[in-house]
Amino acid sequence: MAPDLLWTFIAFFLTILVLSYVMGDNALFRLVMMVFVGISAGYAAVLIFYQVLMPRLITPLVTTPLAANTALVIPAVLGVLLLFKLSPRLSILGNPSMALLTGVGAAVAIGGAVTGTLFGQISGTISPFELSGLSSAGSVISQLFGGIVLLAGTVCSLAYFHFGARKKNGENTGSQPVLIQILARIGQIFIAITLGALFAGVLAASLAALIERLDFLINVLKPLIS
Amino acid sequence: MRAPLSTAIAIGAGIITLLGLFIPVEPITSLRGRLIEWAVLLAGVAGLVAIVHLLSVHWRKMTARRNKNIPSAFLLIAFALTFAAGMVLKPGHPSMQKIVTHIQVPIEASLMGVLAVTLTVAAIRLFQRRSGWMSFLFAVSAFVFLIIGSGLLSSSANIPVLKDILAAVNALPVAGARGILIGIALGSLTTGLRVLLGTDRPYSG
Repeated sequence: MAPDLLWTFIAFFLTILVLSYVMGDNALFRLVMMVFVGISAGYAAVLIFYQVLMPRLITPLVTTPLAANTALVIPAVLGVLLLFKLSPRLSILGNPSMALLTGVGAAVAIGGAVTGTLFGQISGTISPFELSGLSSAGSVISQLFGGIVLLAGTVCSLAYFHFGARKKNGENTGSQPVLIQILARIGQIFIAITLGALFAGVLAASLAALIERLDFLINVLKPLIS
Repeated sequence: MRAPLSTAIAIGAGIITLLGLFIPVEPITSLRGRLIEWAVLLAGVAGLVAIVHLLSVHWRKMTARRNKNIPSAFLLIAFALTFAAGMVLKPGHPSMQKIVTHIQVPIEASLMGVLAVTLTVAAIRLFQRRSGWMSFLFAVSAFVFLIIGSGLLSSSANIPVLKDILAAVNALPVAGARGILIGIALGSLTTGLRVLLGTDRPYSG
């Protein structure tokens, strides 16, 4: 059997076994999932070794004198300490490595949230109110209306996620202010529409994948039947 | 104070990284770059630690005295074969790419296909169990956006009124998504600041 044909049959059987989940959870499906996780973990380990650790840490430490790479000694030591996380008794030794990872990760997340999401989304909400480039009154009204709907939807959706309670005589009453309640109710409508649109997008994408797989199965079976 | 050294490392590294982003002056910028480089290396090691832990869990499940989990053996064998082949051949080798294109991609695409069925069943169950106005609005929205996404109305792009209606309908989920995204960003900001202020110490376990 030609190697390519063998690979095609492997893909064929794996596809059938995964699609068998439609009939209900079964042992063969779970078996394929185990194989999938094993292969993914193996491939990820190889990628981490060859594309992260080897070029950035091991090769520089091995091929060049240590004096030229003193800065790499710190991550090397922290990396070794991180391995102690595998032992429940010695896992405390890995805490400094985790602390560096968490601290840098938190700072990068803050930077990403502020510059990537907050600034971008806020400027996107404001931009429809920039009317200087528009000529006709109709387009001004149309853009202004769209901008107001967008702004109202954004504010109301945010109000829906406001979980603060009103205080009375220094104690929480357990209920939100009336204005927040009204805005949250409108926000619920926008969120339902958004989740519906997202659902439609995911459903369309998964349907496309299902059609592609069925097409693959038919293409493999066609020469065998005819 | 619990874990003072780790807390100092987290706060110090975090503040230098954040300062390097908003105040791009030397030596803060190069220090930030170096810290991120170290974090990438540590993330790689953490990934390997996670994989070894996964394998040890499945090894324990497979060798348990009672209720042996035989499928775990397939995970370990699949891992061992892929890892050994990858270490010898390197990830870019055509045989390694075949593992991706003929095993991983078919499984992932098939799982995505199964998702189409499970999503449809879940939507039907949602209506059976929680049939309120929100469910109705959700279903109408999903139906309308499926129609729009299918391209059925693409020929109506030249009809002025319909074009404006479609533009207005398309703007509605953008408003909701924007609210959700800003909410997520504010949540990330709060969580990140709690770590940088030392209020949350997820590393001191």
